[in-house]
Amino acid sequence: MYRKQVRRRRAVLALLIVGSFVLLTVTYGQGSDGVQRGVSTIFSPLQSVADRALKPARDLVNWFDETFDAKGRNERLHDELEAAREQAVGSQAALAENEQLRNLVGLDRGGAIPSGYDPVTARVIARSPTVWFADVTVDVGSGDGVEVDDPVVSGDGLIGTVAAVTGSTARVTLIADSSSAVSAKIVPSGVQGVLKPSVGDPGDLVLDFLDSEKRVGKGQSVVTAGWRAEELESNYPPNLPIGEVTEASLVEQEAQQQVHVRPFADLRELDLVQVLTGGSRG
Amino acid sequence: MILTPNILARLVAIVIGGVVLQLSFFSQVALFHVSPDLLPALVVVLGLLGGSLTGAVCGFSAGFLLDCLLIVPLGGGSLVLLGTGYLAGLFRERFEIHSALVPPLLCMALTLFAELGFGAVKVMLGFDAPVSTLVVRDVLLKSIFAFFLGWGLYAGLRRVLRPALVEEATVRRRGRRRRPRLPRAERGRRPRAMRA
Repeated sequence: MYRKQVRRRRAVLALLIVGSFVLLTVTYGQGSDGVQRGVSTIFSPLQSVADRALKPARDLVNWFDETFDAKGRNERLHDELEAAREQAVGSQAALAENEQLRNLVGLDRGGAIPSGYDPVTARVIARSPTVWFADVTVDVGSGDGVEVDDPVVSGDGLIGTVAAVTGSTARVTLIADSSSAVSAKIVPSGVQGVLKPSVGDPGDLVLDFLDSEKRVGKGQSVVTAGWRAEELESNYPPNLPIGEVTEASLVEQEAQQQVHVRPFADLRELDLVQVLTGGSRG
Repeated sequence: MILTPNILARLVAIVIGGVVLQLSFFSQVALFHVSPDLLPALVVVLGLLGGSLTGAVCGFSAGFLLDCLLIVPLGGGSLVLLGTGYLAGLFRERFEIHSALVPPLLCMALTLFAELGFGAVKVMLGFDAPVSTLVVRDVLLKSIFAFFLGWGLYAGLRRVLRPALVEEATVRRRGRRRRPRLPRAERGRRPRAMRA
């Protein structure tokens, strides 16, 4: 009797392990299959309700975390404020000049989002629980016009791209995920590179494959490059803000052709984001 | 574990509730910049209460639902969590749980195992990026959070699944046996003091 139980237990365990590997093999590399779409459709209302209901509790826990963090951040912000004041004067002039130039060439775009894109506002309803996957799920899907590879931004800048879509939800792979690579450039110097994450630290990205002859300085801004080559085009439109250079040692630039970048958006605390639908990707 | 339709329904509700709570709450809060991971602790507790088979099946189901809702390749979460649940169940079948500290400590150790397992799955699916040392901090902190989560979960789920637990049923039976049997004429009547 006991042996029979053990045999049955082992059989079920083997079945589950084989099932997991089969699922991995079958679904790897695909956006979303019918099962996921079905489960997602059933559970997304429940998730939305739970997300809204638990928001006060989440805010309370995050308040504690932020309070611990506030002391250290306060000193850093003081330094940044000082630097920002110095830059503000120059920026005001540049803004005025920029506005005039925009009017001159007939550009009526207000912000960083290029024309041809239709932003769809979405709420983050789920987040991958492990440190190895930097994905979030948002409450808009193909029914709202969202497609795979659509860029996603928050109020601060680029946060990622749509990796899979169901009718009412979409998975966004953040720029901190190991699978992410964004072609980016440093402004104003125009030095281009590929922005890759440092897994486990969403506040540190690495801008790789830089031209070692051009110098990059700390504090310079990084935006999407938005390249185009014949019929191929980058997933990201040009000039979406990404972050600023935080470490740019000469040794690292010359030896490894890379600098460190801190994203403008806080990738750990995302609530409302915008999916840039439409566009003209080839 | 004595599985009845009622207990099965409770297990399904626990797994679904756990996954939704993880995605809607725990994944979106940060303590010391790290989000607690409820699911390995939940699966460990289910394995400890129900045995290796229950742990493995609950782990597989929780992982499958998690992968479905996150729209990631299916199977990775299932594989890791079924291993976690199975190991917890195996521990329960091989060793006696003498101390109240055993379940939370096991949650802590197996959460560490699960996080490394998720890392292994990520490597298996293709991994081309430098790894920050902060990963170590994150994984260790998640394990420490799991200690406290496991403590609460074990107490709560033990209460919810009490009718199905074999040792609880044995204790109940022993308790009934120890009670002195009244003569037939006295059965069903209140004790003298209460009547007065």
